[in-house]
Amino acid sequence: MKLVDRLLRRNTSWARVAGFVVSNFIGLAIVTGALQFYLDARGLWEADDSFISTDYLVVNKRVTGGDVLGGDNTRFSAAEIDDLRTQPWVRKVGLFTSNDFRAYMSVSGASHSLSSYIFFESIPDSFVDVPSARWQWEPGADVPIIISKDYLTLYNFGFASSAGMPQMSEGIMSGIPIRLSLRSEDGRVEKTVNAHVAGYSNRLNTILVPENFLREANAEMGTGSQQAPSRLIVDVSSPGDVAIDRYMEEHGLEVAGDKSASQASFLLRLVTAIVLAIGAVITLLSLFILVLSISLIMEKNRDKLHTLLMLGYDLPAVGRPYIRLAVTASVSAFVLATGATLVMRSYYLGPLEGLGGGGGPVWVAPAAGLGLTLVVIAFNILAVRRRVLSAWRL
Amino acid sequence: MKEFRPLEKIRLEGVLPRVFAGDTPRPSEVWRGDVTFRRGETVLVEAASGAGKSSMCAYIFGSRTDYEGRILFNGTDVSTLRPAEWQQVRRLNLAYLPQELSLFPELTAWENLQLKNGLTDAVTARRAEEWLTRLGIIDRRDYPAGKMSIGQQQRLAIVRALCMPFDFIILDEPVSHLDEANNRIAAEIIADEARRQGAGIISTSVGNHLLLDYQRILSL
Repeated sequence: MKLVDRLLRRNTSWARVAGFVVSNFIGLAIVTGALQFYLDARGLWEADDSFISTDYLVVNKRVTGGDVLGGDNTRFSAAEIDDLRTQPWVRKVGLFTSNDFRAYMSVSGASHSLSSYIFFESIPDSFVDVPSARWQWEPGADVPIIISKDYLTLYNFGFASSAGMPQMSEGIMSGIPIRLSLRSEDGRVEKTVNAHVAGYSNRLNTILVPENFLREANAEMGTGSQQAPSRLIVDVSSPGDVAIDRYMEEHGLEVAGDKSASQASFLLRLVTAIVLAIGAVITLLSLFILVLSISLIMEKNRDKLHTLLMLGYDLPAVGRPYIRLAVTASVSAFVLATGATLVMRSYYLGPLEGLGGGGGPVWVAPAAGLGLTLVVIAFNILAVRRRVLSAWRL
Repeated sequence: MKEFRPLEKIRLEGVLPRVFAGDTPRPSEVWRGDVTFRRGETVLVEAASGAGKSSMCAYIFGSRTDYEGRILFNGTDVSTLRPAEWQQVRRLNLAYLPQELSLFPELTAWENLQLKNGLTDAVTARRAEEWLTRLGIIDRRDYPAGKMSIGQQQRLAIVRALCMPFDFIILDEPVSHLDEANNRIAAEIIADEARRQGAGIISTSVGNHLLLDYQRILSL
């Protein structure tokens, strides 16, 4: 079959094929490089608070003078919640439920014990990013709790040092059994349950318990006069959207916690998306270069193709040299791009790890590059087949 | 997969080139008629230039389809054959010498033969060399085909057409550039090979025809 290859490779413009390899390499390198960087860098914002996605905002009404004097204007009415739900940047809205009974927490150590009245809140489970096994509660079991990281800081650096109490790390704190005494307002129902800290959040200034636990406890011990929620958790499509700020401003709402992580994460995603799109466009253009240059070679060799077909060569056999050319060129570009991405990663990984990022999966970006390469190859196979068939019908 | 083992009959049923459709019918034993070529039979199709000899050959060989009517291989309408089936017919059933020869000028004479023979290995190197010797072009064996004279190219193309097993060999003006001596040698080689395979011969001519004993002569 060497003769067939020799015949059909005539009129191959190696400059055009090299042009494809270079442009496809650039496109693929941008796609795989940007993707790899995104995977490595997103840890900077997301690793420290894995319970609540950065797309979630916790919203409450601003407390004004009137509220202090006994008004109850910080609660959201059904109409206000519906209005929020219809905003274009809102994916879903969850309501905070608070405890409708008295709760008393006590922690006993070897030498010290700590106790306090506390409160709970819950949000729909779909907003909590904890593996469901750790965020499950069944009657009789320990109650998992997520507390604000600020509370731990407040205890360690504000309270513990002044009160002569030992400081606690997150790990130690999580291991300490907590007793919760719950009592209905009228004192008729009283019960004690065990709890433990399941996680800490930077973005949730509350003491969070599973939804089903609070629902059951409220039903058992509550006054029954469940009030409208004063806080909402909102899943937004792009946390950096100025429309969100404008809406909050106009309606006198506040977004709790630090939004910069949301915005940085949003910005990272936006920039990555733009760079990925540019890479994809370049890859697409290089695909056209390859399809066009192979079509051109085949057009110039059309008579040869036709004659070989008249001699009895099978259609796939005469297309094979061109498919081999497309595969070789595409795979070379892919290998080069993957290599370039790994080299680039070796340069930025050190500094990035110093900042707390790194450690993204290494297979996703090459897999995406391979996917694009397969698309390029598939397109070329189709184009070659069409040309062969047209030479057969000549 | 439709196969013809062997291809016994080629029937042309009311076949007419579409370009002739509007013309006043000329007397013809092929166009608009019902002609059957049988395996083992030697037929000459004679006509003036422009009567459509090459078209008829191309229609039978499946390289053109611009005709009305039907062509049947063993009763099967060839318009139902898929590309892969046609390719098999071209490797195993129909040998074809096109008028334009269709050699690859950049390949040597020998490479041109290898390109065809490589598909089926029907002919040994010794046999092919023997044919080249008898046709007087063995010394051009390793010459680029494009550098050979037109007469030499025609002889090479005849040898290439024989480099496959066949039930019919279609020769479109095979000796238009050959002298009588070479015509006689070519005719001997073709007749021997056709006899050995039990194959039919369909040869066309505008006057200078391949010197064979024809069982039928059709005028187009």
